[in-house]
Amino acid sequence: MADRRRINGPAGATIPPVFDEDGKQYEHKVAKIRDRAPTAIRKMFLKTGVTPSASGSAYLEYESSAKSGVSGLKLSCTVHGPRSLPRSSPFSPHIVLSTHVKYAPFATKQRRGYLRDPSERDLGTHLETALRGAIIADRWPKSGVDIIISIIEGDQDRETSKFQGDETWDMMNALSGCITVASAALADAGIDCVDTVAGGVAALVQDTSDDSTPRIVLDPIPSEHEKILGACCVAYLPIRDEVTNLWFKGDLPASDIDLYTKLVESGIQASRNGNRVLVECLGETVA
Amino acid sequence: MATTSSTGAPAAAPSLTFTRPVFAKLSPHPYLLLSLSPDESSSTRSRRTNGRAPHEARPIQINTGSLSQAHGSALVRTGDTTVICGVRGELLPVTSIPQFRPTPSYENADDEEKARKELKEYDLLVPNIELATGCAPQFLPGVPPTTLAQTLSTRVYSLLHSSGLVDGRDLRVKYRPVRPPQDTEAMEEDGQEEEEEEEEVKAFWVLYIDLLFVSFDGNPFDAAWAAVLAALRDTVLPAAKWDADREMVICTTKEKGKKLNIRGHPVPCSAAVFLEKADQQHQDKGRHWILLDPDRLEETLCGEVITVVVDCEGNETRVRSLEKQGGTVLGRELIRGFVGVAEGRWKEVVKAMG
Repeated sequence: MADRRRINGPAGATIPPVFDEDGKQYEHKVAKIRDRAPTAIRKMFLKTGVTPSASGSAYLEYESSAKSGVSGLKLSCTVHGPRSLPRSSPFSPHIVLSTHVKYAPFATKQRRGYLRDPSERDLGTHLETALRGAIIADRWPKSGVDIIISIIEGDQDRETSKFQGDETWDMMNALSGCITVASAALADAGIDCVDTVAGGVAALVQDTSDDSTPRIVLDPIPSEHEKILGACCVAYLPIRDEVTNLWFKGDLPASDIDLYTKLVESGIQASRNGNRVLVECLGETVA
Repeated sequence: MATTSSTGAPAAAPSLTFTRPVFAKLSPHPYLLLSLSPDESSSTRSRRTNGRAPHEARPIQINTGSLSQAHGSALVRTGDTTVICGVRGELLPVTSIPQFRPTPSYENADDEEKARKELKEYDLLVPNIELATGCAPQFLPGVPPTTLAQTLSTRVYSLLHSSGLVDGRDLRVKYRPVRPPQDTEAMEEDGQEEEEEEEEVKAFWVLYIDLLFVSFDGNPFDAAWAAVLAALRDTVLPAAKWDADREMVICTTKEKGKKLNIRGHPVPCSAAVFLEKADQQHQDKGRHWILLDPDRLEETLCGEVITVVVDCEGNETRVRSLEKQGGTVLGRELIRGFVGVAEGRWKEVVKAMG
């Protein structure tokens, strides 16, 4: 049954455009190379107060890579609350966080529907875990706060994801952005946190160009690499030196036991870099 | 009582110790009324709570083409209302249209009208407005679209069709079949038909027009429509061809895409009527103000709303649509005068569109 509260368009299924170059893209893929240093993250733009009627809000944009068709991540986050919980809800001695991450229909290569799909729910859960460690939750008993993130543009190449299998790597970048932008919006809303939490992604990649030795890069763009072996997204509190959320995915060679630690450390490094932007942005807001 | 800071409303009683935002929240109607009717003695003009004059609209900023995944996009900002529109084309093969009837091309005389019917009949324009992005405290996600969101989507949908903004002929993907060689013997018998091969429509582009409110501060329809218009003008559909062997539509990036042919610049202009008396029964006696481009506070206080869509292309004003809800203040004369206001707004918006 179609959603009758929205305009659904034609009854027959529509097909996203298919391009004749699709087959050839496979070989040309390696042409895109990362021109940043392995330890450098992309430039980002963060601004608070984009939605004046919300308690707090922030907008985050990653610099799009120089190639056309590769979009940078664009996120908008609003925070509503703290406000009283509805009467029906049970007593809570802490603030009740509810996170909501939604891709805009035009955010990704495939058009997204208006109903949240499982991957968006997954992002919301990860985000909640990451923020729960930063918020001083017992200052607001019996109250709730809503954190809503709209992904206006996903971090996705126009023609990727097809041969790389799935969107997991894109989701990691999206999550790291979500954590950073939500942290800025929470600070804008004046909700007490122990520290500013920022997200960071590190990945173990393998390129054909450099003798096929896997290397660790920060803030990877999936389309710039031949193959991503593993990646981790870290939410990190720099002053307390704590990790609030760790999401690791991939297939690491079993021989190197240090690799895992190294990858997490690189993720922390990426998170520190993101945190610098975050703190600077919040400093501007206060000034 | 000790004197307080001068942050109170201009004509407020001296005992008022609330700050402006508190007063606005506690009793919004007197708050707006006080700012609109300043003291006779003072020289201050009638101002709204947001500092605008009653017939002053918020400046509009339009930015197009900032999204790379959509075929056309626009960001529109009027005051604190911000909306993003993304237009994306998807293909609808005629085989998946149940009621499809191929229309022979000898009826070319009224092709434009036919294209318009196709748009409507096959539902090729799909506008949707998402308000549940936390753009204002009352719009939280996790619930089905609110009545307002549904109304807005429907209004955009009907204006898209009634204004004939999109030329349906741009959305056809045509194919001129090549006669297979086996048929040549049969064709030689009646030789005239051999050269003229009819172009047939194999697929249609469906335009998904998705609107996302980033920030909501009143007058959503004007902002949403401006975003739709700007995004459609920005839309470039990829060059598409019907591949007979694969029986599907293939797009190419080698050829330049097709810019949509958008007819006219219909621009809506909304206003709300604010009455001196809050209760509906005495509304004839009190004064009233027509507030152009109302914000969120004003919208909650006004029962009567008017939207006029005008197009002043070529120095000729055409009223494309007129909607009025609630109230009895706006009569024929006022509406006629309001069209003049809408003309002024049209110039501003078209200038911002560039």
